[in-house]
Amino acid sequence: MLHVAHSRRFLAPQAAAPRLAAIALGFVFLAPPLSAWAQSAAVAPATPPAAASAAPGASAPSAPKTQAPSPAAPAAAASAPAASGGASAGATDTRGLDQDIQGLKKDVVDLNRDLFVLEEELLFPANTQVAVFISMDVGDFFLLDTVTLKIDQKEVANYLYTPREVEALAKGGVQRLYLGNLKAGQHELVAFFSGQGPHERDYRRGATLKFEKGIGAKYLELKINDRQRRQQPEFEIKDWE
Amino acid sequence: MGRQQADGRAARCSRIAWKGVLGGVLATAVLAASAATAYALLGREAPDFALHAVSGNNVRLSEHRGDVVVLSFWGSRCGQCRMQLAALDRSFKTYHSAGLQVFGVNVDDDQSGALEFARTQALGFPLLLDPQKAVARAYEVDNLPMTVLIDRGGAVRQVHRDFSSRFEAAYLQQLRVLLNE
Repeated sequence: MLHVAHSRRFLAPQAAAPRLAAIALGFVFLAPPLSAWAQSAAVAPATPPAAASAAPGASAPSAPKTQAPSPAAPAAAASAPAASGGASAGATDTRGLDQDIQGLKKDVVDLNRDLFVLEEELLFPANTQVAVFISMDVGDFFLLDTVTLKIDQKEVANYLYTPREVEALAKGGVQRLYLGNLKAGQHELVAFFSGQGPHERDYRRGATLKFEKGIGAKYLELKINDRQRRQQPEFEIKDWE
Repeated sequence: MGRQQADGRAARCSRIAWKGVLGGVLATAVLAASAATAYALLGREAPDFALHAVSGNNVRLSEHRGDVVVLSFWGSRCGQCRMQLAALDRSFKTYHSAGLQVFGVNVDDDQSGALEFARTQALGFPLLLDPQKAVARAYEVDNLPMTVLIDRGGAVRQVHRDFSSRFEAAYLQQLRVLLNE
């Protein structure tokens, strides 16, 4: 933020002149529609929330919807008393603007979600996708510190856990540790778990799984369980078919 | 005679004052120059990391969003680093309750020096170990000590590539600005 302010302050006049001209031009072109919109927003009642959310799939922003005056609006405006007209128009204007902003925010969130899904689909197509998750059940005999993941003897993930993350896993959280691509065929997954075992001793264990990657996404889960009978933690890899 | 002495004293005083002002300007210029040298992360989101601490729990930077974070990259053979860590410890004790977090990131290949330093100094803030220098690379550490100030929103706001006790007041001033945001 400071950096931006600094660079703006020392903007050269030669560089600032075209920018100022562009802003002035933009103001000239935008001023008439903006004033027209302001007048229509002052006259038209605010769009009810139900109407605004009537088409959730629509990609166009909801701002134009609220800008369009309804047929009943002029009549309602004409019948309103002149004295209270200014105050109510101001309140309606603010409410309309607030709804526009909320609509725009929702559109941005929807767009972000769609882009995220699109990115994942492009980077990790379903026919080559491999995802590895980690979960923990109880965790009395093992305090997780790091997990190292190797696929076909190549390290693909190494994650260091903080106490808050371990707590989240112990509460039933599932973490996606790795997302990548693998060609169809036989593969080997090796996971190394290190942390603190029973009696606060340093503990390091591994788990291996040979799996067949076919057509379609592959989901694997690393599970840390407590084995009550042996008073030891247990590590397994589950292949979700 | 008396008048000449008074004039001489006044001239000496004015010379001393000028020297003080020049010294101050020079110190500020050096501080500004150390911060203003091209640093790509300035104004951007601080790269997240998780590191082992010398003692205590692992630390992940993103878990401290909402606090003002000071990262001090140091080596056990660097004398200025030790001075800076001691100064940061004083600041940490004063401003911790106001939301200040300080992490000393050790970049030694051999961790024994860091362990020894941690044992003897007993600093109030965590000392983290980065033997593989992944975090140092992410923060483009090119000098020791190097200090990165991160605001409550997680953006890098200041960087200092040197330390001298003369700059301590200026550092504190910058910290106070971030803490007041």
